[in-house]
Amino acid sequence: MLGNYFYHQIVRKTVIAFGTLFNDIHVRHDDGAGNVISDLKVPIAYGPRQKFLARITQQAELNKATQITLPRMSFEITNISYDSTRKAGITQTFKAKDVNNDQMKKVFMPVPYNLGFDLNILVKQQDDGLQILEQILPFFQPGFNISIDLVKSIGEKRDIPMVLQNISQQDDYEGDFATRRALIYTLSFTAKTFFFNHIAQTPEGLIKKVQLDYYSDSNTRTAKRVQRYTVVPKAKQDYNDDDVIDTADDLLIEPGDDFGFTETSTFFGDGKEFAPNRGVDI
Amino acid sequence: MALNPHFLQGSRGEQRLVQSLINEHLKIYGVEVTFIPRKFVNQSTIIEEVTASKFDDNFLIEAYVENFDGYAGAGDVLTKFGMSLRDEVTLTISKERFEEFIAPFMDADDDIELSSRPREGDLVFFPLGQRLFEIKFVEHEEPFYQLGSNYVYKLKCELFEYEDEVIDTSIEAIDTQVEDDGYIANLQLVGIGITALASPVVGTGAIREIFLNNDGFNYSSNPTVSISTSPSSLSGSDATAVAITTVRAGSQSVEKILITNAGFGYTEAPTITITGGGGSGAAATCSINTASNGVIRFTITQAGVGFGTAPIVTIGVPAGATAADRATGIASIGIDPSSGFNRVNTIFLTNTGAGYTGGETVTISDPETISGIGTYHFNEVVQGMRSGTQARVKNWDYDTKILKVGNVGIGTTTTGFFPGEDIKGLTSGALFSVSVFDEDNSTDKYNEGDIFESEADLLIDFSESNPFGSF
Repeated sequence: MLGNYFYHQIVRKTVIAFGTLFNDIHVRHDDGAGNVISDLKVPIAYGPRQKFLARITQQAELNKATQITLPRMSFEITNISYDSTRKAGITQTFKAKDVNNDQMKKVFMPVPYNLGFDLNILVKQQDDGLQILEQILPFFQPGFNISIDLVKSIGEKRDIPMVLQNISQQDDYEGDFATRRALIYTLSFTAKTFFFNHIAQTPEGLIKKVQLDYYSDSNTRTAKRVQRYTVVPKAKQDYNDDDVIDTADDLLIEPGDDFGFTETSTFFGDGKEFAPNRGVDI
Repeated sequence: MALNPHFLQGSRGEQRLVQSLINEHLKIYGVEVTFIPRKFVNQSTIIEEVTASKFDDNFLIEAYVENFDGYAGAGDVLTKFGMSLRDEVTLTISKERFEEFIAPFMDADDDIELSSRPREGDLVFFPLGQRLFEIKFVEHEEPFYQLGSNYVYKLKCELFEYEDEVIDTSIEAIDTQVEDDGYIANLQLVGIGITALASPVVGTGAIREIFLNNDGFNYSSNPTVSISTSPSSLSGSDATAVAITTVRAGSQSVEKILITNAGFGYTEAPTITITGGGGSGAAATCSINTASNGVIRFTITQAGVGFGTAPIVTIGVPAGATAADRATGIASIGIDPSSGFNRVNTIFLTNTGAGYTGGETVTISDPETISGIGTYHFNEVVQGMRSGTQARVKNWDYDTKILKVGNVGIGTTTTGFFPGEDIKGLTSGALFSVSVFDEDNSTDKYNEGDIFESEADLLIDFSESNPFGSF
């Protein structure tokens, strides 16, 4: 019953979006006289991974001189839960243009889900952790929106809020000296994303012209059209680079572009009617 | 009296005998390890931690490996932060040997606090396995007061957690252990710079000079300069120019107008209109030369390689003319997208001169580093000659001209090295010019930041702005 294969990679895309938010965090150390002697870009990775792959990539040479390099950040999905507060009617659909051609696609409203993420920060020094936190926290009030192209085939960009829910700190500084101090900050986020169903084809195309005929009488069997009002898109930029914006550019307007309208009113006294199937007046 | 006075409970001579026997045993059964004391570069108060350290001394000492059948600890484990090696080792060293052969040297070093004993935080290089261990705890009472004294230190060690500590012991086997570890940035250097070449194109009825009569105000970007068209219908006859703005007294205004093409065929001075850029008020006029040929533009035959700053352009004086007839130009540079090196993009004219024939020479000054010299040494400090930024060499590949550096400071800049400046090895004297400073750590096998960034470019719309950085 559910058999249509589709895979929009929603979770993977959300993971990429989440990861890229935090891949330009720096930590700096100075020499006490105010000179920055080290500026580190903090590495980040998605935590879960195949064990054998981790071993052969991160420890290709079996003898390694050090335990680990710090600071590091990792993140992982902790839960996936349905968000009923963002649910739209299940029978609602919307149309979207296929990014590859002018055909329209029919899309059912997506199902809202919350993805829980934990961002873990492992540092060697408390000051490193505080530097990293300060570069992150001011941007989450408590959410930060990212526009993600969730379904490539229809160019469906959705603002996905990444909401900071909680921060916890682990600092094992007490105890015997044989146990190393571990400084870990864990930031819990919720990504409010959407899961899309199969994207269906429709035979409908883009509406590029609207035509409205006025009649002189309300009896449509006998009345003939006397006035026609048409609206077509009007280009606001020079698409074909010929240094003029004219009707040739109008044909090159893409959905989503900023465009105006050309409105035309025509009056008739020829007693004809428009035949929609043939597209002419008869 | 509690103790039997007929027994000594350990005389000084007995204690020395035991110490000598222990020393001898350690020399026979021990492993020769390298003790590396930690030097504090910066210590933070309030939150009490050493934020920057260096390890640049080395002392050989014999140590007995307590866990003779293998490392203790949890071994190699996969954590949420990637691979972590939890090997531990307990080493026994002679108290006397440390106090007599290491402590005096440490005591003489002003950078070392507490020199009388091995300290928690110091490093030990363990040659069987090439590991760097950090001393977590120094046990000084085990065995417990035999003959009334203690003779050994037991160093309880864990593998070192590396961040950006300077390890420069001058023993290559030790220093190279962190060659690929920690944050490493890449500098693409220019091996051989190439001088740019250009030739003048001449014409008459061209703009001679543009005069900026009013520099305007409140511009947010460079405005557009429009020059009325030439009466000539030939291609290239219309003059073109660009406006360059600067900020003065808090307001951005037009600083100068540079000619990109002086046009030809004008019979009277064209009208110059300055529009756009968000501001207003800028106005300019120009003079033309109808009596003789001037330089109307340049043909760049060689854009050159390796420019850090815009080179100086000198245009020869026409034969029989005076210095006042000399045309003057300014070069602008930019990065060539195919090679990544700075080249000459455009040569603007500020005065098109008079009396030119087209055979005059155009001399463009050499790039700063016309030819790179020398070889960078591992672990030496390199310095950006303009930014003042310093870093330590991790690896230098002469063939690809990629210099990998760690401990990257920022000097007088906000982000470290910048393209075009020269990088000098402070020990080797090697000198090359920077083409690209890549902050992304491609050496770290854990880091996936680059992958996220390139994948996100296909998915995420950061067209408005991204406060987390430039993507």
